[in-house]
Amino acid sequence: MKTKGLMTDIILSELEDVVGYENVSTKTSERLVYGVDYFWISRMWADRGLTPPRADYIVRPGSTEEVAAILKIANYYRIPVQVWGGGSGSQGGAIPVAGGILMDMKRMNRLIELDEESMTITCETGMIHQQLEWHANEKGYSLMHYPSCLTCCTVGGALAHRGAGILSTKYGKIDDMCVSMEVVLPNGDIINTLPVPRHAAGPDLTQIFIGSEGTLGVMTKATFKIFEMPEVRKFRAFLFKDMSTGLAACRDIMQKLKPSIMRLYDEAETVSIIKKVIGIDKKGAFMNLAYEGPAEVVKIEERIILDICAKYEAEDLGSEWGEKWYKNRITFFYPDHIMDLPQMFGTMDTAATYANLEKVYWAMKHAVEDNFPDVRFIAHCSHWYEWGAMIYDRFIMDNPPDDPEEAIRLHNRIWNAGVRAALANGGVINHHHGVGLKLSRLMKEQYGPAMQVFEALKKGLDPHGIMNPYKLGL
Amino acid sequence: MYSEMAKKHADACRFCWMCRYLCPVGLATGKEVNTPRARGLLVSLDIRGQEFDESCAEAMYECCLCGACTHDCVTGYEPPIFIREARTKAVVNELVPAGVQTVIDSVLNNGNIFSRASSDIKEQLDRLVPDRKETAEVLFYIGGTALVKAPHIAEAVIRLFKCAGIDYTILADEPQSGTELGDLIGYVQEVVDSAKQLAEQINATKADKIVVLDPSCARVFKQEYPRWGCDLKGEVLTATAFIAQLIREKRLLPDKLSIANATFHDPCKLARDLDEVLPAREIIAAMGIEIKEMFLNKKMSKCCGTELLSQYSPVTGRLIAQRRWDDAVRCGAEVMITACPGCYDVLKSNAPEGKTVEDLFVLLAEACKA
Repeated sequence: MKTKGLMTDIILSELEDVVGYENVSTKTSERLVYGVDYFWISRMWADRGLTPPRADYIVRPGSTEEVAAILKIANYYRIPVQVWGGGSGSQGGAIPVAGGILMDMKRMNRLIELDEESMTITCETGMIHQQLEWHANEKGYSLMHYPSCLTCCTVGGALAHRGAGILSTKYGKIDDMCVSMEVVLPNGDIINTLPVPRHAAGPDLTQIFIGSEGTLGVMTKATFKIFEMPEVRKFRAFLFKDMSTGLAACRDIMQKLKPSIMRLYDEAETVSIIKKVIGIDKKGAFMNLAYEGPAEVVKIEERIILDICAKYEAEDLGSEWGEKWYKNRITFFYPDHIMDLPQMFGTMDTAATYANLEKVYWAMKHAVEDNFPDVRFIAHCSHWYEWGAMIYDRFIMDNPPDDPEEAIRLHNRIWNAGVRAALANGGVINHHHGVGLKLSRLMKEQYGPAMQVFEALKKGLDPHGIMNPYKLGL
Repeated sequence: MYSEMAKKHADACRFCWMCRYLCPVGLATGKEVNTPRARGLLVSLDIRGQEFDESCAEAMYECCLCGACTHDCVTGYEPPIFIREARTKAVVNELVPAGVQTVIDSVLNNGNIFSRASSDIKEQLDRLVPDRKETAEVLFYIGGTALVKAPHIAEAVIRLFKCAGIDYTILADEPQSGTELGDLIGYVQEVVDSAKQLAEQINATKADKIVVLDPSCARVFKQEYPRWGCDLKGEVLTATAFIAQLIREKRLLPDKLSIANATFHDPCKLARDLDEVLPAREIIAAMGIEIKEMFLNKKMSKCCGTELLSQYSPVTGRLIAQRRWDDAVRCGAEVMITACPGCYDVLKSNAPEGKTVEDLFVLLAEACKA
């Protein structure tokens, strides 16, 4: 919905009244930059010189109360509201496709409390995650949430799409790390979830909002666990003869231990990205892992891991490659190291139980490679659970169509094929990047009649449908 | 309009989010447009025919050119390259924000960014060194910021020179080095021409060493002048490096000063561009001052906002300086020691109640009873 004529100025004045003149903008520069996030389609659109989707108003709240007031205005005028954190999401979740208000949360970046007794840290959700990590580091602690977007996502962004960091196998995803939060509902009411994450007071309110991608309200404050820095963090790398053997070994490890990092790359990724970034030139399935904690425990863990990998006839590559991977863990995401335009690419991360994991991997690989001959498929597994793991499947096409609309259609066909293959074999549409605009259309396929639970929540909390339209299938 | 180099760097940065956590402007304002990737995106969109209006020009000037993004980039991309060229475009197309234009006019007319008459600068120089010599072993280049905003720092360095028996001189009118004009309008011919004139004046002093008080001027002398074909005959040294060497040679023998709860703010140009983090700490240690390091120190130093940006965007400049003070307060510091006249002035102007800023050379002059 777009406002026209004098109403634009009326609404602008109301928004200025809430956040101050300097924190509302309709400038060309600002409207342009919020139209491009990490979503391939938005980047391709900009690369082809096309005008990005534009919000009508850029609004930067400085407090929870200001967020509440903005949502009341938006509800009154029925204006769409899209919440923006770091803009580093890959699913188009923050793109203001419906116009209206773009609410940038980054002014709300204050540290509220570091509680050394409870081992928790509380902040406003507009803080860049690395800043929060540094606040913990200053006191000798860590959140242990190290996603590749650590330096660019906000705390709210990580919560909005249920993010995961490289240490998730030991410390959990963001949904495991979050203790409680403050949320502004679409009608402007400010609520708090329960002070602890484990209780028997009904369903978990915190988990309803984590992953809601700005469709059910605006998360404004959050409390997370913090951890002592491990006494020892050791690295090791192995080479398995193939992905299947590696998967079996990793499952075996997860039944006994909790490494902090365990990354198993398929044969295609081992000879492409891994070779390029860390320089190892071997065929097979490369795996690097880390185990950490008190030195004595780590020593025992290492022995068990070595035994398990030997059982699966893995080549022990020692600590060097694991350390090298860790040192370069973010290098993968800098220009010239990661896929970039003009290539077409996407990350179809999914998760499945061990019973289905390999089936999902092969089904997705065939769905992409067999149907799209010019498309390459690479994958690794890097977030593990007692019951299964995530598969980080990626497709890459070097020469996508020049016509942008044709490129979008092809992009979506590849995504449909890959994700539907995952769904048909026990996978899910996403593991830690979220749904956004990219996968919105597949939510109903994933959930079936269960989707009515989300739809009822949406209808009850946001009856005018102002919150992040067209995202999350809602 | 844009060079191939600028296009390449803008295209690399437009879709890369990685360095924003270090951008002092974006962190202070919370605006997406104040991030390196947004600046790259706007330039890349401009190259592809999208509108580049006054607001886009304004976005290019809301950058301290502190180099935190460049230092962070694993691949080696440098946002300042396309930002400077976008500023040139803004000048050519008359899109420069009014506040910035005032500063540009001041540099062009007066040789400083503060709208201070050049006759005042000459008077200040005469006052600092009334018995100025035409030639000497050391030329002391002070820079406009110290001359206008913190002349006591230049005085302190001169006292230290005298104490150490240095044969020094200064320029009679000290033309601007090109650092500020280059940042304001890009590295255009006008900047290069004025740099060449200054190089000739400096060379005329026959100095073996050119000791530069302002790290921004030292950077441009060391890194840009050779690229611009300006041949400085003497060795360019930062004042911190030169003075630290005098201490090492025991030509300066400082007493211990009693200053508790102090921290040191690394000037961006000194730490990141000139790779110089130790001499200042050596000087501080020589005075017996124990510093509490801020979490972001040395090459990871967070910019204080810069004197230049603070001139045309005082509100943004204040926000950035306050964030640096937050860092200092969190590490338990009550005194912030600096080694740059611009950092000194900006941090002093924005010091929280009960906190103070001290200049390194002023402290040392006191410790040496110079």
